[in-house]
Amino acid sequence: MENQFVNYDNRIVKYFTFATLFWAGIGLLVGVIIASQLAIPSLNLGISFTSFGRMRPVHTNAVIFAFLGNAIFAGIYYSMQRLLKTRMFSDKLSYFHFWGWQSIIVGVAISLLMGFTTSKEYAEAEFPLDVAITIVWLAFGWNMIGTILIRKVQHLYVAIWFYIATMITVGVLHIFNSLEIPVSFFKSYSVYAGVQDALVQWWYGHNAVAFILTTPFLGLMYYFLPKAAEQPVYSYRLSIMHFWSLIFLYIWTGPHHLLYQALPDWVQSLGIAFSIMLLAPSWGGMVNGFLTLNGAWHKVKENPILKFFVVGITCYGMTTLEGPTLSLKTVNAVAHFTDWTIAHAHVGALGWNGFLTFAMLYWLIPKIFNTQLFSKKLANIHFWVGTIAILTYVIPLYWASLEQSKMWKAFNEEGFLANPIFFSSVLKILPAYYIRIIGGILYLAGFILMLYNFVKTISVGKIFENEKVEISVSQNWKNNENGHKWLESRPVQFVILTLIVILIGGMVQIIPMIVVKSNIPTISSVKPYSPLELEGRDIYIQEGCSNCHSQMIRPFRDETERYGEYSKSGEFVFDHPFLWGSKRTGPDLAREGVISGEIYKPNSWHFNHLIKPTNVVKGSIMPDYPFLAENIVDFSATISKLKAMKKLGVPYSDEFIEKSKEDMEKQAGKLVENLKNSGINVAKNTEIVALIAYLQRLGTDIFVKTDSVSVKK
Amino acid sequence: MEDSENSFDGIQELDNSIPRWITYLFVVTVFAAVIYFVHFHVFFQGKLQEAEYEAAISQFQKTKSVSNFDENNFSLLSDNESLEKGKELFVEKTCASCHGNLGEGNAIGPNLADNSWIHGGKPTQVFKTIKYGFQEKGMPAFNSQMSDNQALMVVSYILLKIKGSNPANAKPPQGVQE
Repeated sequence: MENQFVNYDNRIVKYFTFATLFWAGIGLLVGVIIASQLAIPSLNLGISFTSFGRMRPVHTNAVIFAFLGNAIFAGIYYSMQRLLKTRMFSDKLSYFHFWGWQSIIVGVAISLLMGFTTSKEYAEAEFPLDVAITIVWLAFGWNMIGTILIRKVQHLYVAIWFYIATMITVGVLHIFNSLEIPVSFFKSYSVYAGVQDALVQWWYGHNAVAFILTTPFLGLMYYFLPKAAEQPVYSYRLSIMHFWSLIFLYIWTGPHHLLYQALPDWVQSLGIAFSIMLLAPSWGGMVNGFLTLNGAWHKVKENPILKFFVVGITCYGMTTLEGPTLSLKTVNAVAHFTDWTIAHAHVGALGWNGFLTFAMLYWLIPKIFNTQLFSKKLANIHFWVGTIAILTYVIPLYWASLEQSKMWKAFNEEGFLANPIFFSSVLKILPAYYIRIIGGILYLAGFILMLYNFVKTISVGKIFENEKVEISVSQNWKNNENGHKWLESRPVQFVILTLIVILIGGMVQIIPMIVVKSNIPTISSVKPYSPLELEGRDIYIQEGCSNCHSQMIRPFRDETERYGEYSKSGEFVFDHPFLWGSKRTGPDLAREGVISGEIYKPNSWHFNHLIKPTNVVKGSIMPDYPFLAENIVDFSATISKLKAMKKLGVPYSDEFIEKSKEDMEKQAGKLVENLKNSGINVAKNTEIVALIAYLQRLGTDIFVKTDSVSVKK
Repeated sequence: MEDSENSFDGIQELDNSIPRWITYLFVVTVFAAVIYFVHFHVFFQGKLQEAEYEAAISQFQKTKSVSNFDENNFSLLSDNESLEKGKELFVEKTCASCHGNLGEGNAIGPNLADNSWIHGGKPTQVFKTIKYGFQEKGMPAFNSQMSDNQALMVVSYILLKIKGSNPANAKPPQGVQE
């Protein structure tokens, strides 16, 4: 043993901490705003930037990547230096990481409000930002690995394992889900189409939950909980078991977001089977957390930090039980596309991630500012306000889900849908949408209390930006260890093993979907979109329609009665990206254009409805889109869009692409003529015309005989 | 600051054995998962989604009651209760969104209060227009949303109450005057 001095970088921790607080405020505020828009649609203001479809991704991205992302980095930069007894590998990388990440957040927020979106959930950022994320993430990874390699301790503590898994997996997920072909600077198309795109997206989407909202927070729990409770971690063996099983199994579970949808059965069943197996590994973290408090429950009574930990970990246990439960087909058939998903996500985000972050910050901020928390009492109040907020938020939504699902599925004694009008089910659950706003406001109020507490704390504290600490360093690292101990002192092998473990599930599911043709049976009558429809589709993407409307009819009698023939995988082969959606705040649109279908509407209906939905659906909560009739589609970009699609394998001939302008003029002209017959005058090159053309195409192809005679179902 | 073998930055790690119940839980879920997958994809037992759907449809067909309503020969219902119900259906089934709340017509659908009809104004013609629709012209088919009896109530409401009612903001007549 030898004593040395080390300078811990507390400034970077402070930076990330302040960023966490700043973005938490923004993320929660936008959450309250969009929750209010759902209940009071006039709050959409009738302009594009503030409409729900554009704001909702800002909320999810701000919470996941800005608020929680910065919280993760704050915790990692603080704990990693101390667990490895060294300053971060490179200050330059640390601050590049910090400023890079904040710039990306600002860029993502602005570009999403402007309508630049890929439409893929939690990966909405467009091409240049995807590249920037990759670069900054590599810098973070490089800094992390560098720090591990220059460490002054032999073994990596369990928290570090979770950090490694986070860094590796998020990198892999981000890169492969974001493979896209740019058309212009802020417009790209996913290289995957339809079913493949859906599978890759939910491989990403579900594991964003796993490796941004679960593994890093478990890592933080393993550091900050024993620190705050001054208790030993209960079981080293359990931590090994649940770490490896968790990261291996999680990756396989993405398909449970696509149950009963146009995904081959075998992939769905794999998703279900692995979701079931994931329960115990997930709970391993909860058990180790709770048992670490063994014999210290009296401390929980007095210490608000531990209270936040306990409720946070409880919420973790609840969501990870709920996850496998929702993956069972019978439960999924009821809960999917409803507000259950929203409630489930918020138990996780508000309860587990939010409360764990608050616990960490209440401990960390006084620590780095060398002072005591200004008011323990305020922290206690925050805890209770936050807990009540979560319940006020989620309970109405669980009710809304069950109530709405029941109405969707109900048939009357004559065999007709008991509630054929979708909107009647929205009206029914509207009270829940009001109550959830109160939940959101309470949660934000609790957060503001915390902010005040921190301002007061920091004003009397003093930070040592470079904290000089004496450490004892062992010169004799053991060479004769076996098993996991051996691995813990070999970071390179650890990283490689982690990479292998997290790659297996995704590869087994995704590669056959791309390589084996029989997984997606082709339908010969399915043809690519016309140029005008393609532009309309891009407007559908730009306005975020898929945030509220699915395009995926499941094979249930109520859905085929309500919407028409259920969706087939072969219908989506030209859909770059897929637009199946994950929530039905409004009705499904998969068969919107089928003239003989259940939900067909004339062009004039669509026009009136888009301009002001309450024109035709009294009390509708959909935002008004009057600007669609004024905004002009940039037809000059269409050719490059068609060319990009061609590169992706969509069979547009060169001749067709060349004549695309005429084709658009013709189709738009016909549509405008038809609207004129209803007394509606609109210019041919407006967004609304392209969008209506797209809507009228939806779901029609499978009813077209190859000799182009339309057939009745 | 001395860290012993099982201590990291002062955090002690105990080596308690894994609680038995969670090990059992894991084993049980692994068995359940394997059985689930094998059941469907190795022994091909159990209904996957398409088979499940077909079963649900054929089950419904078996129990479905056959309507004995003659759509070519019926008389309108003139009792207040039926007309009131017809009015409710007119709004509830969204007729009103394209034909106006009082049947006066709007930018989407024609006036129903005048004597002009695009697809014929006889009771049987109106009935079939509602039931089967004229989709190319924008009139949906309501046969999956309403029973024949309900459609009859709507037809009765239109022909006995809306027709000739002279509502405000009426759309100019379209079709053939009868």
